[in-house]
Amino acid sequence: MNTERKSHTLVDADRPNLLEDRFPHALPPLIRLTGPVVETIDGKPAQFDVSDVKKRDIVITDTTFRDGQQSRPPYTIDQMVHIYDLLAKLGGPNGVIRQTEFFLYTKNDRETLRRCRELGHTYPECTGWIRAVKGDFRLVKEAGLRETGMLTSCSDYHIFHKLKFPSRKACMDSYCDVVKAAFDAGVRPRCHLEDITRSDIEGFVLPFIDRLMELSSAVPDELSVKVRLCDTMGFGLSYPGAELPRSIPKLIYKMNRECGVPSDRLEWHGHNDFHKVHINGGTAWLYGCNAVNTTLFGFGERTGNPPLEGAVMEYIALKGGLCGINTTVITELADYMRSIGLPIPDNYPFAGKAFNTTSAGIHAGGLRQDERIYNIFDTTTLLGRPPRVAITDKSGADGVAHWLNEFFGLKGDDRINKIRVHELARWVIDQYDVQGRLTSISDQELETKAKELYPDLWAKCKAGRN
Amino acid sequence: MATIEERIKQVTARVLKLNPEEIRPEHNFAADLGAESVQSIELVAMFEQEFGIEMEEDAALAVETVGGAIDFIRDVCRQQGVETEG
Repeated sequence: MNTERKSHTLVDADRPNLLEDRFPHALPPLIRLTGPVVETIDGKPAQFDVSDVKKRDIVITDTTFRDGQQSRPPYTIDQMVHIYDLLAKLGGPNGVIRQTEFFLYTKNDRETLRRCRELGHTYPECTGWIRAVKGDFRLVKEAGLRETGMLTSCSDYHIFHKLKFPSRKACMDSYCDVVKAAFDAGVRPRCHLEDITRSDIEGFVLPFIDRLMELSSAVPDELSVKVRLCDTMGFGLSYPGAELPRSIPKLIYKMNRECGVPSDRLEWHGHNDFHKVHINGGTAWLYGCNAVNTTLFGFGERTGNPPLEGAVMEYIALKGGLCGINTTVITELADYMRSIGLPIPDNYPFAGKAFNTTSAGIHAGGLRQDERIYNIFDTTTLLGRPPRVAITDKSGADGVAHWLNEFFGLKGDDRINKIRVHELARWVIDQYDVQGRLTSISDQELETKAKELYPDLWAKCKAGRN
Repeated sequence: MATIEERIKQVTARVLKLNPEEIRPEHNFAADLGAESVQSIELVAMFEQEFGIEMEEDAALAVETVGGAIDFIRDVCRQQGVETEG
């Protein structure tokens, strides 16, 4: 390690340097990368040009209707069609949200797919999801899909304990038979390598990928196998120096460079069991997966998947522009999800009710002076969500009225004036003057009080939503 | 029936916790009677309730004295067809 000391001279200034080339405020903070990054793999240095991500056609794929539905009661057909429509609006004409996948097993699954496709959106492309069973390709063909995901679990936990194969070879042969059946049906198979971060990479995964590449060489490009790396249990690691099978850089290196799977046929699918889901998705992008698989607000099996809206922000930060994305749809989607009973925590980034609400008086003062001091970016323009200040004894009746109008979603002539909120304003003041309170009042407390004091407004604006 | 003045004094006394007999028309709600910001809002709301009227927010809050309130409310009652004095 270099321990040579270096002195640092103050660069005095009488004007602030706000680093606006990296923190433009009109966009999320930009991620500027310099390369190369070196990872030691099999004892040798392997270089990755991570800045290449700016040029590569990285995309977001969606599994809200598949993995996302495994963590909640089923969506109705109408709900899914509406969500699909909003995904198309969010991802924009360049297809930043490139694909979304559907179950095909029930009549409702197939009706949902039909109605989504009927909307005529180019993106997200609808793909299927089936078991690795030859007969299931009939469903894919009948639905008219060009591509389907199929389960090709690759850890011995799955091969032996779940799927009960007598040997790895029997398992691989079975998977390859299904891949051939996909080719015969004219459907592109996307092999989902379940539990890859707990697999024998050299002993099973890489030989399997070699077989897939060999099979792909005999079919047209548009049918060649895609590979989804499924971090089923959230074991994946982004850390430099981490070992296989958990290292994401090493996994992608093996696929990409040793097996020759091109980046546009590699996809990362993560889970959040260890709070690593978003950063692992971003890491996969940097090291050579072009696609990161996500769900809206991270809803997914157990702890969930990479949040789609987080990937959208990461995409913009990496690319340095909106690229056709309509970020305000994130708010529309969050409102819709809440309206159909899916909880989004108040402090949840980009979409929670309080994600840009400051409680500290000193922060509120900062916000008043210059929004950029305490707002992460221009949330008013990008998300339709102006920064907010929590209610305290300093808020006054104006602040209370503002809070109530926002809370009930009242606009124009429907907005209530401060005369109408005097009971709530009094309650707020008494919290401090009479009760001796020293903390700000949470939205939950205000909601409870608003329900009690304004039952008519509550019934009109909130009934059925909370 | 009590006069407008009497009713306004009673409401003011109740909201500001004063004796109605101490309140005079020339009194300024804030400077003389000690009305704080939220109490001004409460006064307007209670006047509306007492007389069954609806007042324009900014105009109502611009009224500074008890006498001014008497005149303002009498006008509003007349405009809104509310009977005030027997």
